[in-house]
Amino acid sequence: MRGHMRRGATTIAKVSALLVSAATLAACNTEQSMLHPAGEDAAAVNSLFWAMAIGAAIIWIIVMGTTVYAVLGKKRPKSEKFADRFILLGGVAFPTVTLAALLVFGLALLPDWVRADAPDLRVHVTAEQYWWRIAYEQPDGSMVDTANELFLPQGQTAEFVLNSTDVIHSFWIPTLGGKIDVIPGRTNLWRLKPTEAGVYRGVCAEFCGPSHALMAFPVIVEAQADFDARLAREAAPAAASNDLFLATGCGACHAIRGTEAAGRVGPDLTHFASRRTMAAGTLPISAENLAAWLLDPDHIKPDVRMPGYDSLGQSERDALVSYLLELR
Amino acid sequence: MTEDNAVKEVERETGSGTDLWSVIIAPFIWAAHFLVCYVGAAIYCQKLGRDADLGDIRLLVLGATAVALVGIGASTFRLWRVRGRSLTDNDFEYEHDTPEERHRFLSHVALMLCVLSAVAVIYVTIPMLYLSSCR
Repeated sequence: MRGHMRRGATTIAKVSALLVSAATLAACNTEQSMLHPAGEDAAAVNSLFWAMAIGAAIIWIIVMGTTVYAVLGKKRPKSEKFADRFILLGGVAFPTVTLAALLVFGLALLPDWVRADAPDLRVHVTAEQYWWRIAYEQPDGSMVDTANELFLPQGQTAEFVLNSTDVIHSFWIPTLGGKIDVIPGRTNLWRLKPTEAGVYRGVCAEFCGPSHALMAFPVIVEAQADFDARLAREAAPAAASNDLFLATGCGACHAIRGTEAAGRVGPDLTHFASRRTMAAGTLPISAENLAAWLLDPDHIKPDVRMPGYDSLGQSERDALVSYLLELR
Repeated sequence: MTEDNAVKEVERETGSGTDLWSVIIAPFIWAAHFLVCYVGAAIYCQKLGRDADLGDIRLLVLGATAVALVGIGASTFRLWRVRGRSLTDNDFEYEHDTPEERHRFLSHVALMLCVLSAVAVIYVTIPMLYLSSCR
């Protein structure tokens, strides 16, 4: 008897643990949640999700109710005609019609871009192992290069021109809409219309190598005026040049506009310190993180192209860190 | 099977011959329709580019769908007379090793395949009603 009660208590403990974890999940960070849409496409997908989830729950209850009734209910046999109709309607007609309705619901969400107007903004995004090269196309056709952080004006349709230089990646900002593969040798177009201002998180959604999970980018949606000001700041040259940065060869891979550093291999660092993260959404920017990164990037981000600079002295690395932090 | 049912069974037409085409004609039409739609759309879009309107190929798909459904309908109509449609009725028995019950069973299978193929053909067509361009 006591054993039985203890089992009961264990079950209650398990259930409450489950409820607590469910409550914790509900308080999850929403910056990467499709269930907290901040864009037109994501809202459509969200409504499809809830329609399907609620529909599935109702059908599940009906099926389970029928099963329980069949097992526990009165054992009076029904007519064969009833049985036939029950199977044909419930087992054939109902699933066929339901699936057709879901197909139509899903197809109706497909964007119709041929007749759509020109986008308000065009952003060129190049996915590389394991970071995002980003260039904003300005009205005069010139580009503003940056990397690993995306700014979008609220309420405007942005078109992404997507390319990859190495393997297949996938461009996904869950709060704004669906994802699309980024394929070497092919230009994919994708449009998103953010409706809510905020800071979100975009990710690579196609396994692309050891650091696939460390290939993310913050997405900042803000009012048009703020966006314009931000883009003007991004377009401006860097705050300072640095001889050590050039002497140690950093400029062979990294561009810092306004200085001699013009490398195109790694991310543009012109306004590096104004970004929210370093190493493509991997770490917050700080002197400690930068020092660790310069010493051994591969330790933080496996298979990253950048070599470690343990050959430099401590004081030189510190000088590089303080220079990078000046690049606001 | 009761005596009464057995009498009714004998009275009903059961089909004859050894032609299996009547069993697979409906899935065959489904497969042909699928290939016409997908291969046709692929060639059309390859020739006209990603932004091309789907107007002409949509007519082809709708035409192929009408032909396929008429074909499957004819097959269904032929099978309809052969055996009862009941799924649960015990006139559907085929555990006896007789030519009549074999035919009855295969006709039942063919009828079910007709329904499945008709649904599949319609599902293949639905996206064409919603897509507007090759993109």
